[in-house]
Amino acid sequence: MIELSHVSKRFGDETAVDDITLRVAKGKFCALVGTSGCGKSTTLRMINRLIEHSSGDIILDGQSIEQYDPVKLRRRIGYVIQSTGLFPHWNVARNIGLVPRLLKWPATEITARVEELMGVLGLPVGEFAHKYPHQLSGGQAQRVGVARALAADPDILLMDEPFGALDPITREKLQDELAKLQSRLHKTVVFVTHDMDEALRLADHLVVMRDGRIVQQGSPLALLQQPADPFVDSLLGGLERGLKQAALTRVKDHMTSLGPTLPAQSRIPTDFSLRQALSMMLRDHCDRLTVVDQNDMPIGELSLRRIVKEAQLDKVSQRDA
Amino acid sequence: MSLIDALPSPALRRRSWHPNSVLLCLSGVMLASAWLFSLVSVAPNRIVTGTSFGIVDAIGWPGAALISMLFMAIAALATVPSQGHYRAILGIIMLTLLLMPFGLMVAGHWLVDASMPQARLGIGAAYWTVLFVLLLCLVELRLRLGLSRWWPTLILSAIGAVWWGCAALWLGNLALVQEFQARDTQFYQAVKQHIALVSIAVGVSVVLGLLLAMLMRRYQRLQKVAFALLNFLQTIPSLALFGLLLAPLAWLGANVPMLAALGISGIGNAPALIALIAYSLLPMVRNTYIALEEVSVETLQAAKAMGMRTGQRFWQVRFPLALPVLLEGVRITAVQAVGLTAVAALIGAGGLGTFIFQGLGQAAMDMVLLGALPILILALMVDAGLGALADALRPGGQE
Repeated sequence: MIELSHVSKRFGDETAVDDITLRVAKGKFCALVGTSGCGKSTTLRMINRLIEHSSGDIILDGQSIEQYDPVKLRRRIGYVIQSTGLFPHWNVARNIGLVPRLLKWPATEITARVEELMGVLGLPVGEFAHKYPHQLSGGQAQRVGVARALAADPDILLMDEPFGALDPITREKLQDELAKLQSRLHKTVVFVTHDMDEALRLADHLVVMRDGRIVQQGSPLALLQQPADPFVDSLLGGLERGLKQAALTRVKDHMTSLGPTLPAQSRIPTDFSLRQALSMMLRDHCDRLTVVDQNDMPIGELSLRRIVKEAQLDKVSQRDA
Repeated sequence: MSLIDALPSPALRRRSWHPNSVLLCLSGVMLASAWLFSLVSVAPNRIVTGTSFGIVDAIGWPGAALISMLFMAIAALATVPSQGHYRAILGIIMLTLLLMPFGLMVAGHWLVDASMPQARLGIGAAYWTVLFVLLLCLVELRLRLGLSRWWPTLILSAIGAVWWGCAALWLGNLALVQEFQARDTQFYQAVKQHIALVSIAVGVSVVLGLLLAMLMRRYQRLQKVAFALLNFLQTIPSLALFGLLLAPLAWLGANVPMLAALGISGIGNAPALIALIAYSLLPMVRNTYIALEEVSVETLQAAKAMGMRTGQRFWQVRFPLALPVLLEGVRITAVQAVGLTAVAALIGAGGLGTFIFQGLGQAAMDMVLLGALPILILALMVDAGLGALADALRPGGQE
C-alpha cells in the first residue's frame, strides 16, 4: 500500500507538486493523468526517492520512506520508463536480471527467473536472450523494460509513461497485455500517462493533476459520470464521455432475460463492451441485440432504450450517493 | 503531365552514369608522376647526391608499359564503377604494390655498378608518390567496398612481409637497406626503446587521465583550471618543453640522491617521459571527460531507479558506455606520442628519432628515412589496432 499525505515538492521558488494526498490500496492500479509539466512524473519519482519530497509524508506498507535506505527501497520497487532506459551495453537477459543480481541471488535462480519472465512477456528465450536493446523494436524493448521491473518480484510497480513512444497499435497491444498481467499478479501500480484513454483502460483509480495539484480522483466511471470541472471534462473527451463510459461497461451488466418476443437478428457476446454493442446497433440498424454466451447460445437481450434509461439511473443514484 | 514525361529520357540515362572521380583522379596522378618524376637515383656513396633516372631508364620500356597499363586499367574500371570492378581495382593495387620492390631490383641490377661496393640505389619522387597514392586508393576502396578496418591492415601486412623478404634477400644495393645493415642491432634497440617510451607515456597518461577526469566531474571548479593548464602545456613547442625540464631535473638529480638513483637527470628518459606525458594528458583527459559526460542521462537515471549504488552506476554503466569514446582518446594520444617520441631522441632518450637526427647531422637522407619510415608504420599500426579495439568494444557491436 502507498499513502501520500500532504506531499509537496519545491524546486527553489517553484512548486512542482502542491499538497497531494493520495492512497493506493494493495493490488490496485492507480493512474496519474495530466498535461505535461503537471507534476505527475515528479510525484512518481518521489515514491522511490529519485526525487526527495520537500514536505508531507510518503508511507509505504506502514513505514515512512525516509526510514528506508534509498537503494534498498528502489530494489523492492519495480520501475518502468520509456525504452531508452534499457542498458545499451547489456543483452536482454542481462538487462532483465539486473535487480536480482544486485540482490545477490544465486546465478541459477537468476537465469531461471529471467527465462520465466521472458516467457510471461512473450519474448522467446532462444531468440531474444542474447539480443541487444538496439536490435529490438520499440514494443519488444518495452516488454524487456517491464520484465526488468518485475524481475525481483516487487509488490510495487512504478511506470512512467511506459508506452508513450510506441505506435498506436503496439501501444494498445501492450496495454491489453499489461491489463492481463495485472489481473494475474495484483501488483500495486502507479502509472503516469498523458493519454486519458490509456488511463481509462487500465486504472482502478484515476488521479487527474494540474499545476502540481490533484483536481479530481476516483474510479474511472465516477470521473466519467461527474467530472469536477471543465478541465477534467475536456481531458475526458467532453462530448465523447458517454461513449468512453460505455466502453468501460460490459454488456452483461445491462442485459435482460430473453422475452417472449422474437429474438433480434444481431448477436453479441456477454463480455463485449456497451460501446461495441452501440456500434453494432448503428451498423445493423436495430435497437435490440441478442446476447450470447461463449458457445454462441442466446442467454439474454440488450435494448437501446434500456441502456439509455439505465445510464440516466446510474447518474441519479450517483448524485444521491 | 503526359505519360511520355514519365519515361526515362536519354538525357536522364546519361546523367545516371557516375564514374568514380576519386579513383580516376588518383590513377591520373600516378600515371603522370610515374612519367614526369624520377623513379630512382643512383649515388656512388652515401653523401654524394645521386643521379636521377626516369621510368624508362630504370625499368625499361616493358616495365614502363606494364605499370602504365595497370594505372590505365584502374582508370578504365573506375569510369564504370560496380562492386565487381572495385574488387578488380583492389586486385590491381595489390599487384602493383607487390611488383614495386621487383622494379627496384631490376633498376638496381641495371643501374648500379656492381664493382663499386659503396654505390647505392635511392628511391625517387615518382616511387614515393605512387606508393602514397596507392594507399589513398585503398582508403577509397575500403569505403566503397564497406570493408572493416581489419582487411586493409591484413593486406598491407602481407605486402609488407613480401617487401621485407625482397629487401633482405635481393635489394642489398638499396640505400635504405645499406643504412639498415650497417646498424641493425642499433635499429632493433631503437625500435624497442621507442615502443617502451610510447607505452609508458600512454599507460601513465591513461591512468592519470582517468583520475583527473573523475576528479573534474566531482569538482567543477577544477575542470576550468585543469583544462586551461593542459591547453597551455599543449601550446609549448616540444623542444622548448624538453629545454625547460632540463634545468630543474638536472638540479633534482644532483641534489636528491634518491631521485638520482631512480635515474632522474636533466637528459635521458626522465625528462622525455615527463614531457610526453604532459602532451598526452590533454587529448586523454579531454576524451575521457567527454566520454564520461556523454553517457545518456536517462540510462543513468534508470540505473539509479533500479537500485544501483554510486560505484555500481559508475563501473557497470557509465564507464563501459564511455569506453569506446575513451579508447578513441587513447588512440589519438598513442599516435601523437609515437610521433613526439622522435623528438625525445634530442635529449638522449633514444628511440627511432636517433636515426633521424643523426641522418640530418650527416646529411644522409636515407638514414633519416630509416628512422622516419618505422615511425610512420608504428603510428599506422597503433591507429589500426586501437581503432579496431574501440569498434569491437561498442555495445553489442553497435555502430
